[in-house]
Amino acid sequence: MNDAAIPKDIRSAPAPETSRPKYIGERVQRLEDPRLLTGTGRYTADIRFDRMVHLAFVRSDQAHARILGIDTDDAATFPGVIAVLTAQDFSEIPDLVAPSRMKNYHPTHCPVLARDTVRYVGEPVAVVVASDRYLAEDAANAVVVDYEPLGASSDPAAALLGDAVLLHDEVPGNLVLERSFATGDAGSAIAGAAHVVEGRFRLRRKSPMAMEPRAYVADYDRGRDALTLYGATQIPGVVRDELAKLLDIAGNRIRVIAPDVGGGFGGKGSLYPEEIIVAALARRLARPVKYVSDRLEDLTSTSQGFDEYVEARLAFDDDGMFIALEAEVIGDIGAYSIYPWTAALEPVQVASFLPGPYKTPHYRGRVRGVCTPKPPTGPYRGVGRPMAVFALERLVDMAAQKLDMDRAEIRRRNMVQPDEFPHRIGSGIIWNHSGFTECLDAAVKAVDYAGFKARQIAAREQGRWIGLGIGSYAELTGIGSRIAVAPGMPINTGNETATVRIDATGAVIATFATASHGQSLETTLAQIVAEELGVRPQDVQIVQGDTGMTAHGTGTYASRSAVIGGGAAIITTRALLKKVKRVAGRLFDVDPDRVETGDGEIYVPGTNHRIGFDELARAVYSDMATLPLAARETLESQENYDPVLGTTTSSTHIAEVEIDPETLSIRLTRFVVAEDCGRMINPQVVDGQVHGGVVQGIGVALLEELEFDATGQLLSASLADYLIPTSAESPHIEVIHLETVLPDNPGGFRGMGEGGTIGAPAAIANAVADALAHLGIGISELPITPSKLHRLIAAKNLTKDRE
Amino acid sequence: MKPSPFEYCQPKTIEEAFAALNHEDAKIIAGGQSLVPMMNFRLVQPGRLVDINSLPGLGEIVLDGGTIRIGSLVRHAEAARHDLMRNHLPIIAEAMAHVAHVAIRNRGTIGGSLVHADPSAEWPLLVTLLDGQIEIAGPEGLRHAAPEEFFVAPLVTTIEDDEILVAVRLPILSPGTGMAFTEIAQRAGDFAVVAAAATVLMDRGVIAEVRLALGGAGDVPVRLFEVEAALAGQRPEAIDSITPGCADGLEPNEDMHATAEYRRSLIPVLARRALEAAVLRAGATR
Ligand SMILES: Cc1cc2nc3c(=O)[nH]c(=O)nc-3n(C[C@H](O)[C@H](O)[C@H](O)COP(=O)(O)OP(=O)(O)OC[C@H]3O[C@@H](n4cnc5c(N)ncnc54)[C@H](O)[C@@H]3O)c2cc1C
Repeated sequence: MNDAAIPKDIRSAPAPETSRPKYIGERVQRLEDPRLLTGTGRYTADIRFDRMVHLAFVRSDQAHARILGIDTDDAATFPGVIAVLTAQDFSEIPDLVAPSRMKNYHPTHCPVLARDTVRYVGEPVAVVVASDRYLAEDAANAVVVDYEPLGASSDPAAALLGDAVLLHDEVPGNLVLERSFATGDAGSAIAGAAHVVEGRFRLRRKSPMAMEPRAYVADYDRGRDALTLYGATQIPGVVRDELAKLLDIAGNRIRVIAPDVGGGFGGKGSLYPEEIIVAALARRLARPVKYVSDRLEDLTSTSQGFDEYVEARLAFDDDGMFIALEAEVIGDIGAYSIYPWTAALEPVQVASFLPGPYKTPHYRGRVRGVCTPKPPTGPYRGVGRPMAVFALERLVDMAAQKLDMDRAEIRRRNMVQPDEFPHRIGSGIIWNHSGFTECLDAAVKAVDYAGFKARQIAAREQGRWIGLGIGSYAELTGIGSRIAVAPGMPINTGNETATVRIDATGAVIATFATASHGQSLETTLAQIVAEELGVRPQDVQIVQGDTGMTAHGTGTYASRSAVIGGGAAIITTRALLKKVKRVAGRLFDVDPDRVETGDGEIYVPGTNHRIGFDELARAVYSDMATLPLAARETLESQENYDPVLGTTTSSTHIAEVEIDPETLSIRLTRFVVAEDCGRMINPQVVDGQVHGGVVQGIGVALLEELEFDATGQLLSASLADYLIPTSAESPHIEVIHLETVLPDNPGGFRGMGEGGTIGAPAAIANAVADALAHLGIGISELPITPSKLHRLIAAKNLTKDRE
Repeated sequence: MKPSPFEYCQPKTIEEAFAALNHEDAKIIAGGQSLVPMMNFRLVQPGRLVDINSLPGLGEIVLDGGTIRIGSLVRHAEAARHDLMRNHLPIIAEAMAHVAHVAIRNRGTIGGSLVHADPSAEWPLLVTLLDGQIEIAGPEGLRHAAPEEFFVAPLVTTIEDDEILVAVRLPILSPGTGMAFTEIAQRAGDFAVVAAAATVLMDRGVIAEVRLALGGAGDVPVRLFEVEAALAGQRPEAIDSITPGCADGLEPNEDMHATAEYRRSLIPVLARRALEAAVLRAGATR
């Protein structure tokens, strides 16, 4: 059912007035916590089967090289080894190719094991099957691969040059994709503008770094010719559909289950060669196969995030009103265009979100995605927006500084005003009504922004450097089927189907194709179903992440599950409630409209008609005397929801920092988020998502960086060098929730799972720049570290000395 | 990230330990907090692990004449909370708070830290600062090493493969000595980018005795004897004018997190902060 097709009474309507207890909006304790916090969760690595074998991959230690030969003879003789396999042993499996109808896009071919050529350090080249992982690793160490280095530039700008070594024959000029957006005539508008600020911004490559690394277990039932893959994945539906194709198995013979999953952040949101191999081998060997990646493999072979350069210019008039924005985006997409998203996912959204929450009449943005010999990039919390917001919000601060205008005021002026929605920005995205200015005002008020300047001056007099930074943004969430990042992507991410059932005992089971991996969907979806049906949240069992149990769907990513899954939950539960009322009306012999439900009971107000859901179920399923055959409706509904477009979420983050002038240590002293995510299902869960997202944003801004040398070797290949923020680096995070205008969708929900990571980098960068304003130092690359600050200040002093 | 195959043995006496170490690639394991990660990366592939945790007498902290003798198996956390240390060498607890995280401090040992010899680690710096004596047992008997002769280069010391570090002796300083430790690290618990430690004894308003040492400022921890000499007999105000020269002659390393110049810039700052804090803590002028 799409939005237009949903009956008006179900669509944006608030739940009909009843005396039913409300759960939506309540701080319901997480229903998954007792399991996850007492060590009784079941993650993929916990799954064991008899006769199970283990895999270790031999991974390339070269960035771009021809494989001259692979010697597996010695390894095959190692104790416990069952097989040592290379690309030729998987020749029946087609390469992974992420297609798209996008013009100027060249998909890459990614074999499950490197065939003739390796294209990044960490690419799987061979696989050892052994009786345990230790023995598998011992044998993997004994596989000898003979490489002939082919060279290639690990710098994307150099990879675009005419004489650059090509990574893929099918990708001319290493240019995987190119796309442009234009509204008006940005070029002439900038030429004629009173003021222009510009910069070259860069976000370093990141690892999603979930607590649980990727893991897969496959079990093949030879008698039934049925394959089950358990995997730490965000997208079991996508994996199932593509595996059926790649392995040439009917969809009904393959089931993909995401059990408890310990975080994803996008890293578990793509299809990987390892899971294809695990599934293929289970069938070939007719034995259960397990592969659990370790942290080193997680750092080198799980999809990576960001990594782009943005060269941008912002033109404005004397009043600070924005006139034009122009940007060149170069995305370093790594070695392959990832399935199913394509390499367009991240860099294209940098260009499409760049205009931000502001009205800028002229826009021109061009994005080029370049392949380099590094691990493939993929979705990472925020996708494109963190870079876009960082670049734009720096430009906005630079504009304010140029005009000596207040930084909040220049934003307020240029933002889409409450009476101006819907508003189409220069890239074509349409913002529907969301609290742009309201969030800005709320955040500014919370930090005593007006008093900050005086605090800053006083601090500087004491030799202390403090700074305040604002990061405002808007984003699209819960995106429906009409908007796709890469047109013609092989999957439709725009809908969800819910099935809600009352079983013969009166228990409620709701199934979704979402795959919670930390989002608390077992709680929030249960709250929705419980409130709509009239039971308690703890009485609703949420089943998800299992293609064998749920209807078609893709999974959990892109801040979609609350909006689309929640929307499906509402319309499905309302359909089921109609059935419940019809049956109960029949039992009580009253008009179904007079039947109410609440707290697990079905009753007619003002009468003594009152039964439990168990009694209703008995009447329908078991007791053949009470209801006539025609009235024994199956207590189950299934509906599909597709929001068609998306809903706009907005927020302003404000960071305060203190920088030690002598050591240049950067300390976050305050962090405030004001956000409009529509109606909150569970404020505690929203807080948790914001907190986690902001902490990841702190990583983006101050710590996390995958550093490669010129040949493509990863230097930060352990958690001693890839630094993620811990509680000690995280300030108290204040969250202000605003519900300005509810979006016109079934629950009034807006997606908010990624926002923390979107606003924080920009706010922190601006705060650091503000603290250093007296030195004339701007921040154009993140993460910014004390050592990098030291270099910036030294360079500045050098130019000063020269002048 | 699984180690390569190895034998494991757990000697109960020091003689058994020496016998076990008499093997071509045996390696001692104490707390395992540095060794095991390196084994999992297969950077070290010992053929035999000799677990010294059951050897008698290596886990004690005792007063012995004018020194405190700390057994090599004493854990970082134990050292931080031990009364002898708290009373005589409060700088130990101050420094231990910067060593890794609680779980690692509960397992990691002083002996392991010294033999691992990370140039930024706290124990090597403290032992250098305090002129500790390192006690080493070998098949031929006991020998003593001063920190200057023990630490050679990053992760390299003069201990032999068949020797066991058994204890460290730290002196009890004159009553009233102020001590301070300070460091800059990327995150709480990370190895220091640069660390500084100082002890100061004041006499009638002037610095009577002073020690100053740095970690992360070179290949091994360094004592700044010249700076100490310059400070001796001066009023504390002299710290300001003398510390800017602290980095002279030092060659800090460069890595992906900190340039050599950044490290160099931290040296005078941390040296000054350590000295000033030590002066503040020094007992009332005699
Ligand atoms: C995440 C993390 C962060 C850390 N941060 C810090 C930090 O900030 N500062 C810091 O100082 N340390 C840090 N460490 C290291 C920690 O302090 C270790 O405990 C210490 O370096 C080694 O002690 P161990 O007892 O664990 O030694 P082991 O790991 O058991 O051994 C280390 C080496 O010493 C040898 N060895 C051990 N004991 C003896 C002995 N008695 N005689 C001869 N040889 C011996 C071993 O053969 C091995 O070569 C960190 C460790 C981790 C994992």
